[in-house]
Amino acid sequence: MQPDQPDRRVAVTGVGAVCGLGWGIPPLWAGLRAGQPGIGPFQRFDHSQHRTHLAAEVEAPPATLARVCPGWRRLSIADRFALFAALEAVETAGLATPFDEEAGIGVYFGSSTGGMYESELFFAEFLRDPRRARLSALIPQQVNAPGDAVARHLGVTGPVATYSSACASGALALGAALAAVRSGEVEVAIAGGSDSLCQLTYAGFNSLRSVDEVPCRPFRAERAGMSFGEGAAVLVLEPLERALARGAEPLAVFAGAGASCDAHHMTAPDPSGAGAAAALEAALADAGLAAGTIDFINVHGTGTPLNDAAEWQALRRVFGERAGGMPLVATKALIGHLLGCSGAIEAVATVLCLRHGELHPVRWDGAADPELPVALVLDDPLPLSGARAAVSTSLAFGGSNAALVFSRWMGPAA
Amino acid sequence: MDGPGGLREPVFVTGLGTLGAWGSGCDGLAAALAAGAPLAVEVDRAAGYHLPGGARRACLLPAGALAGWLSPAESRRMSPPSKLAVAASRMGLRCAGIDAADPADAAGQAGTAVVIATAFGPSTNTETLLKQILFENPEAASPSLFMESVANAPAAQIAIALKARGASLTICQREAGPLIALGTGAAEIAAGRAGRVLAGSVDEMTPLLHALLDRFGALARAEAGGEELARPFGRRRNGFLAGEGGAVAVLESAAGLAARGGHALARILAWGSAFDPTATPSGWGGGHRALARGLRRTLERAGVEPAGVDLVVSGAAGSIDGDRLEAEVLRAAWAGAPLPPVAAPKAVTGEYGGGHLAAAVLAAAGHPLGPTPGCEEPDPGLGLSPLDGSPLPPPSVVLATSLAAGGAAAWVVLGRA
Repeated sequence: MQPDQPDRRVAVTGVGAVCGLGWGIPPLWAGLRAGQPGIGPFQRFDHSQHRTHLAAEVEAPPATLARVCPGWRRLSIADRFALFAALEAVETAGLATPFDEEAGIGVYFGSSTGGMYESELFFAEFLRDPRRARLSALIPQQVNAPGDAVARHLGVTGPVATYSSACASGALALGAALAAVRSGEVEVAIAGGSDSLCQLTYAGFNSLRSVDEVPCRPFRAERAGMSFGEGAAVLVLEPLERALARGAEPLAVFAGAGASCDAHHMTAPDPSGAGAAAALEAALADAGLAAGTIDFINVHGTGTPLNDAAEWQALRRVFGERAGGMPLVATKALIGHLLGCSGAIEAVATVLCLRHGELHPVRWDGAADPELPVALVLDDPLPLSGARAAVSTSLAFGGSNAALVFSRWMGPAA
Repeated sequence: MDGPGGLREPVFVTGLGTLGAWGSGCDGLAAALAAGAPLAVEVDRAAGYHLPGGARRACLLPAGALAGWLSPAESRRMSPPSKLAVAASRMGLRCAGIDAADPADAAGQAGTAVVIATAFGPSTNTETLLKQILFENPEAASPSLFMESVANAPAAQIAIALKARGASLTICQREAGPLIALGTGAAEIAAGRAGRVLAGSVDEMTPLLHALLDRFGALARAEAGGEELARPFGRRRNGFLAGEGGAVAVLESAAGLAARGGHALARILAWGSAFDPTATPSGWGGGHRALARGLRRTLERAGVEPAGVDLVVSGAAGSIDGDRLEAEVLRAAWAGAPLPPVAAPKAVTGEYGGGHLAAAVLAAAGHPLGPTPGCEEPDPGLGLSPLDGSPLPPPSVVLATSLAAGGAAAWVVLGRA
């Protein structure tokens, strides 16, 4: 992959997130540092008849949000997540909103199911008695609704696009945003993803027997599937020189993105890891970085037996001997799998790790998988103040793979 | 100009596969567009989802349209949109003169990206799955239905069927999605991220979806004793005809095309998109100035003055407010200058399913577009009249437009190959 304008470096100047660890970046980072899974019993819907009973559910929103955001009560849960994360990211970036009509802002979002939770409520009523169902409940059901809600609220008049490639959606949206900023298509990109818990995906993944009955255990010997999460994450991207010119402090540099497809199977990854490796290699090439310059990886790490094994093969292909010793960060073990948002929130986690110079751990007991000799960060944060660059991977249903490369912002002289 | 919209390298449409109410293939679509007669048929209303007196017709895929394009195993396991996607892709590659089964094309397959837009995803599977989960038992959920209920199933199935190992992107941006997919695909080629792209759009129109669109007041209704017609830009327009189908364009670079000695249908000169934040989540806004700015920028990237556009292939579909906004955007972009001829092929193909995208490519390739249903009574308040069937010279530059309910908009500028 060739950069559109290799000299136009792109800064991350704002981040925002909501997930099972709380509303906002402070609770996210505190929870990640603690390494304690936010996965547990949940209340969103009656799951007594489902096979499993855990998720990283987002707690009720701060009451102030309904006052800040017009039309809050008409938004779907996924829309609310998206809007909160976008507002936090824009505020972090120090950008004034609503944006000017000619500001050159674009929104690039990923979502797997959009307002499916609300759609389920509608369908349950509609299919029982079509006369009684409230159509208004269906309005935010579309997959593009979270991204559109963000654009509408912020007054965005530039490009708005929603990517829905299952678990790679958020990462692919970020890749598109990177290309748009580099090329000058937009001056600022609001990029991220949002998804909420819903019965369709909960039952669907359970039907595939790919959900663990306990909090997920990526890369561990006893791993038995994923855990669900929900939430949103947003990054503000802009040309580095623009950020510096307006006095913004870059949180990281978004160095590259790559994508590929396994072209192998709808749900099972290519066990050789070739497809995922192609995305990683494309992202490194796009960043102009050699594999040897990567200091840690935020892995997709769902905790399913097949996915983790395929990802390990991909890491071996790209990083060779270093793969086993390179620190791996497994964010899903703490916040669950946010599906269409996972690539975005794991990108935020990667930026936070680079920014703080330490990698978040995962606390648990259990045995390492001898077939997957990875160096997961366990128990305590791993200081890594010298970390220069990191990769975040997203490997989705349908074989859609994406990889993102971020590098530490070391000042204008670096 | 460089960049996703500006296409610093030439990008060509070298093949086109289509399925829809016209059957399968470009010839059927071209004939339907030249005739200018809507292809709508009665929708199955037996499930009881529809309102009495509501819309009854849609542009649906005729039986047998997929024959010969899918293996029995593929037909068994794929959702309707996935079938449409794989069939249209194979058709597009054949149109381009590319043998997808040829081992000598392995490098081409490895460098092939897939960009597919869908407004609603696999609706049949989603509906069936929800019934299982909500009314039987969550454990009754079928894994095969689930894996084919995700929005990216069509793109994934194209990749699996054709060994396309480049990026796999699924874009959901309602009515603007197809042109965003075409533009995104072109950008993948121009930036060197893919050697070949299969870009397009698929959607199915289920009775449930049709009934819900009608309940929102989006669909054309029959007037007393009359037909359900979309009537884009017409005085009596009252909604669109829903449609279904698939359209997949094969995109290649000039170098790729030359290397294999193929021919092109059209060239993509530029694309662009914008958003109207004044739009409601399911409706249309009043932000024509911002959208017109986005359209002007798209034309500038193409190096085309408004006066240089020979034909607009509009996404207008008969929506009262949507067609008004489209007309306002075009008039603002042209700044008072006379508009070129405006075609509205969704009156023939229906909304959704890629018919509009395919019509734009065919128009750029020189296929004539016929009269627009309802064009005999244009809306005097819109300041434009859609094609009435008068013969036009083959266009050199075609502008495809698509405004989406909810605020998104996209444009693609096509030129002769």
